[in-house]
Amino acid sequence: MSGVLHVRGLTKRYPAFALEEVSFDLRPGAITGFIGRNGAGKSTTFKSLLNLVHPDAGEVRFFGLEFAGHEREIKSRIGYVPGEFVYYPRKKLGAIVDVTRHFYPNWDEEAYRRCLERFSLEEGKTVSQLSAGMKVKFALTLALSHRAELLLLDEPTSGLDPVSREELLEEFLRLSREEGVTILFSTHITSDLDRCADEILYLRKGRLAERGSREELVDRYRLVTAKEKPENSLGACPTADGWTALYHTGDAPEGKPASLEDIMVHLEKGGEA
Amino acid sequence: MRDLLRHELKLVVHPTNWIFLALSAMLLIPNYPYYVVFFYGCLGFLFTFTDARENQDLLFLSLLPLGKRDLVKSRFLLVILFQLVQVLAAVPFALLRQSFAIPGNAAGMDAGIALFGLALPMLGIFNRIFLGSFFRQPMKVGTAFLKGCVGLTVCMALAETAVFTVPFFRDCLDTPDPEHLGAKLVVLAIGAALYAALNAWAYRNCVKTFEKVDL
Repeated sequence: MSGVLHVRGLTKRYPAFALEEVSFDLRPGAITGFIGRNGAGKSTTFKSLLNLVHPDAGEVRFFGLEFAGHEREIKSRIGYVPGEFVYYPRKKLGAIVDVTRHFYPNWDEEAYRRCLERFSLEEGKTVSQLSAGMKVKFALTLALSHRAELLLLDEPTSGLDPVSREELLEEFLRLSREEGVTILFSTHITSDLDRCADEILYLRKGRLAERGSREELVDRYRLVTAKEKPENSLGACPTADGWTALYHTGDAPEGKPASLEDIMVHLEKGGEA
Repeated sequence: MRDLLRHELKLVVHPTNWIFLALSAMLLIPNYPYYVVFFYGCLGFLFTFTDARENQDLLFLSLLPLGKRDLVKSRFLLVILFQLVQVLAAVPFALLRQSFAIPGNAAGMDAGIALFGLALPMLGIFNRIFLGSFFRQPMKVGTAFLKGCVGLTVCMALAETAVFTVPFFRDCLDTPDPEHLGAKLVVLAIGAALYAALNAWAYRNCVKTFEKVDL
């Protein structure tokens, strides 16, 4: 396989949680939404992909290369953007960049300057002086300045206000559509993915419950409202006027289309029963 | 190596490490257990390593195009650099102390060649214990430092006791330089070799241990 990211049977077991047999491929240039409730295993998946933790089983290939033996090359071609830039809060951005740039053979100073301008970042500010949104933009700047071909975004919009989220979503779309950057975007704010995701991976209790294009996934389900709790649904949630329930499209063709949030919330409720 | 060192000096090292370098001047105190100067140097690493942990430094480094071995190397470079600078910074103060027209150190080993020769393997033992423990459990900086301190303190206590009880230490090593220069230089050479060997052993061990650690 020579795709951007090829994952097969990724497994990591902890005493109280297990990531089991996760398999997927990323389509080059696409934004893939990685959804799941808190604790579903999204961060564990990222850590396993980046070899920060040791998977118990599975195969991971970036750009057709195994991590072992190609760690430096792979890391220089990917960018990891966490939900919050938690490193060196008292250091100035310029100092962090000055150290970071030397580790990347493909560091692009012009791209870095463009990012600073586009995101209105000031090198003289310390990390702690940045808002949550600006911290994400700084992390994104570091990733884009070494021309990352694959961005791993670990809940980048979770702590942001709607305007900042919108700005970032627009940037992700631009990177995907104009620069061909492949993006794996983990979030539990599924409305973000309604806007920009091409593909969806849905992780539930450590297992990949759904995967496919966003349109396909949404078409697979219908939402039905009812006064009484419906029987035989995939999951039902109480509302002020009664219940909403999720069905496979074939079982309830009269239902209205479900959003990603509807699908995730109802399947999670169904899983609790 | 230069990039790793730049990272350590710009983002990791805590100001106390720089301040404690100045404590090399404590060799000017007329009567004092001079090995304590090197203990202060090690104490600086407690601040630096704790600060680095709070800054999630290892995680940041591990996301850069580096292998885990490089993360270990980076921290070893910092520790060894500061220890060697501490020793070098102490040399002029040792010379100055010896120029005073007062008797040698009544509290222990004189400030001179033998002191450095004996301090170096002590620092090597500290590194082996402290860094070995740290890279096994990077979140437990305090525990690693405590273990390292126990090792260092035992060595210091033994060396200072030897000054009063062992004839070779008392009559040969604990004398003003350049008396017994040949013996002292041999002690210095052996001390430097032991320091290098202990660090090499510690580094190999830490690389092996740290490879297994989940961050």
